[in-house]
Amino acid sequence: MSYLEYNLKTAPTGLSKIFHLNWPVILLLTAVSCVGFLMLFSVAGGSLTPWVEPQMKRFALGMVLMFLVAMVPIWFWRNMAGVAYLGSLALLLLVELFGAVGMGAQRWIDLGFMRLQPSELTKFTLVMILAAYYDWLDVKKTSRPFWVIIPILLILVPTYLVLRQPDLGTAILLVAGGGIIMFLAGVSWYYFAGVVASGVGAITAVFKLRGTEWQFLKDYQYRRIDTFLDPSSDPLGAGYHITQSKIALGSGGWTGRGFMQGTQSRLNFLPEKHTDFIFTTLAEEFGFVGGVSLLTLYTLIIFFCVVSALRNKDRFSSLLTLGIAATFFLFFAVNMSMVMGLAPVVGVPLPLVSYGGSAMLVILVAFGLVQSAHVHRPR
Amino acid sequence: MTRTPLRPLARILEARQKGENPDAIERENIRLRHEEMRDKARVRAEGRLLVLGVFFFCAFFLVGLRMTHLSGSAVEEPNNAYLGPSITAQRADITDRNGRILATNLVTNSLYAQPPVMVDRVGAAKALAAIFPDLNEDRLIEKFTGERTFIWIKRKLSPEQMQAVHDIGEPGLLFGPREMRLYPNGSVAAHVLGGASFGREDVHAAEVIGTAGVEKTFDEYLRDPANNGAPLQLSLDLTIQAAAEQVLNGGMRLMKAKGAAAVLMDVHTGEIVSLVSLPDFDPNDRPRPLTEGVASDSPLFNRAVQGVYELGSTFKIFTAAQALDARLMNRETMIDIRGPLRWGRFRISDFHDYGAQLSVSDIIVRSSNIGTARIAQQIGPARQRAFLGSLGLLEPTPVEMVEASGGRPLLPPNWSELSAMTISYGHGLSTSPMHLAAAYASLLNGGTRVMPTLLLQDGPQHGERVVSTDTSAIVRDLLRQVVVRGTASFGEVPGYAVGGKTGTADKPRENGGGYYDDKVIATFASVFPANDPKYVLIVTLDEPEVHTLGEMRRTAGWTAVPVAAEIIRRVAPLLGLRPQIEPSPASGITLTSN
Repeated sequence: MSYLEYNLKTAPTGLSKIFHLNWPVILLLTAVSCVGFLMLFSVAGGSLTPWVEPQMKRFALGMVLMFLVAMVPIWFWRNMAGVAYLGSLALLLLVELFGAVGMGAQRWIDLGFMRLQPSELTKFTLVMILAAYYDWLDVKKTSRPFWVIIPILLILVPTYLVLRQPDLGTAILLVAGGGIIMFLAGVSWYYFAGVVASGVGAITAVFKLRGTEWQFLKDYQYRRIDTFLDPSSDPLGAGYHITQSKIALGSGGWTGRGFMQGTQSRLNFLPEKHTDFIFTTLAEEFGFVGGVSLLTLYTLIIFFCVVSALRNKDRFSSLLTLGIAATFFLFFAVNMSMVMGLAPVVGVPLPLVSYGGSAMLVILVAFGLVQSAHVHRPR
Repeated sequence: MTRTPLRPLARILEARQKGENPDAIERENIRLRHEEMRDKARVRAEGRLLVLGVFFFCAFFLVGLRMTHLSGSAVEEPNNAYLGPSITAQRADITDRNGRILATNLVTNSLYAQPPVMVDRVGAAKALAAIFPDLNEDRLIEKFTGERTFIWIKRKLSPEQMQAVHDIGEPGLLFGPREMRLYPNGSVAAHVLGGASFGREDVHAAEVIGTAGVEKTFDEYLRDPANNGAPLQLSLDLTIQAAAEQVLNGGMRLMKAKGAAAVLMDVHTGEIVSLVSLPDFDPNDRPRPLTEGVASDSPLFNRAVQGVYELGSTFKIFTAAQALDARLMNRETMIDIRGPLRWGRFRISDFHDYGAQLSVSDIIVRSSNIGTARIAQQIGPARQRAFLGSLGLLEPTPVEMVEASGGRPLLPPNWSELSAMTISYGHGLSTSPMHLAAAYASLLNGGTRVMPTLLLQDGPQHGERVVSTDTSAIVRDLLRQVVVRGTASFGEVPGYAVGGKTGTADKPRENGGGYYDDKVIATFASVFPANDPKYVLIVTLDEPEVHTLGEMRRTAGWTAVPVAAEIIRRVAPLLGLRPQIEPSPASGITLTSN
């Protein structure tokens, strides 16, 4: 069911669109970003350099882009979904061929003024193409095997490219995010039950076959799993991050040590303190209260997105909004679980808080799409 | 469900009659159906969203719960001394029978580097190179500035070195606690203890594993945390072991032997009080096994347990004991000893000419090969084999050392009558000195089988009967006679009534072609005190020769016997045996009082 069948005359035009933006989401995004600035300021030892200033610039740029994207009608973006998807695949291939190697993994393209990480972009172009696909597809065909295989391929191609970089965290987000959209689009339960069953089977096989000559994973990968299950077995090796961040969370207690008073993160105990593990700084300095507050901000963003999606009768807009919200949710859920030792360390940033240009820009542009869907919804 | 046809004929006909466009009806119907489907899809999507919402909520709840838990938890510092669950340190001590330490552990530290957490990589490399002259500065700098995140630098540090490294103040240089095995007595009892080395190693601990001797045999026991550090108590006596080693070493040098072995065993319990094999080594710094040459030339080779030799005339007592026990003859039975004794192409001759006939006693005392062979002819190969088997001479000794299984006796391929004759005087069957000690102990303790052991026993361990008590008593007396008036006259130790049997066996050539004329294995198997045997001592010298009274002498009576006598003189008092005052010889004057 597409936009053409609705009466669009009521959609606002011109600058009046600004009044119809989803302002609560914008305010919440700004609030979360401000938490990020504070944390980066603290981690840098009370200095705007080297992290706060670039991060603020990127935030400003991202906001502008978000507004621009929001002003463009959503049907334009729907028609661009295929182009965006193919474009991000091309960029992933480019990284594969020419990308710079950072921290042992090929992940970005140097654009001069910033480093573009195509895998970040892919997370949202995948959501777009899937939403457009299910918008186009006749509802009756949703669960037919052929029409299920197509979106699976759409998910697996970028996943494969991302895994080659290698970037396990993004790959997991791609598969999970894509799966959520397929689920919401109404693909039969049986497919998901099948995937879960074979997943459980695969995990059992991986552990049962350990030590035999049939084992799937390399020894170091098994060791990582061991470290996840019991980080204290190797507190100076692979379990180092987890152990240190647990110390930070524990020493934060209920109300924290106070702004700029954290020791664990500022004394260089944590190498990734300004990126993936920035939550430890927050938890140490603002304690349980600070952590839960950030979690609440994130939850509110998701909440407003879901409300907007439910009110939107356009299938593409609705799926797109939900998909972006789900991906956003996966971002911070995986990051927090990882930091708290609930999940293995897979390198997923805390959205809008962790230092990193691509992630920030891409998230803001994605929320621009959410805004566009909100503004141009059929009334 | 009832479906509205898209083009209901009745309505179309009706529309046509009215002149309306029938396609509008179709469009209208399509619109209605789409709306219906859309509404259904919405309901379903909302249901699914609810499921997802529940899932999200659970995830939030889990994260929140975890945060609550962590915030409420006390700070738990990582403990660098944490012992990995898979590696157990703390190996149990090994003590002698009196509780004196033979092997214990020393805490030391290893040194490793983690370049990613280093403050000044090049500076650290330079400082390290200054402390350890054996480290190459350039190589260190190269390693530290490279990709590696973990580098071992030293396995063991002295406390001074550790302090010096600590004083560099580099957080990327770290110490790992280590336990190393220490043998405070150096080479004393080296062959029994064997040695230990590091097994699996990680930052927090290293596994110490036994590589030889009792360290290897009891490796699991020593490492088992369930024993709670209870030491392993051996039957060895440290003082006696040291004395025996000292005397044997002196004797070996005096006799210019290239190797020597001694076994001192309690005849009733089977406990080995002392076990010496020379040359030996320091288990703290165990030498590497030889890569070329003969393995038995290595100091690691345990001659007492691993080495199998033809032990010569010491075997004669087994032949005599069996014949007496089977009542084939008594000790006074005269045997024809005219030689040489021919058997096919083979000749058996004696070292001296002892005349035409000797009694069984004198055959032992004088060590007549021909006489013993004649006795063996009466016994026969099958019975001889069974008897030697009952003494444990045909299979590896059960002593608790990994090396013992290597000491497998060499049997003749076909136990013929000729084999029986040669084996009767100790040729054609190779055994270790440990075998001999166990067999002598079994014969002399009253005639019951006793198993050699290195573990402290709590009483006599008499097994199945080998010979009768009477035979055992005769054997004792015969052995005593050998010392009093036979080939082992140098074996007399005042006060300790030593008995024993000498054995001098020509060494076989390595390439299999007969025997050397000038290389022998000299053995003295002794028992003391002979009137009530308590201990058996076997002394074996490899290629001894001593120049005495204008002649080069190699026989056991000139070489192994005086060494054994000196050992007994030294250790008998340590063993708690009182010297027995011999009854004064009858004076010849009969005092009468009347």
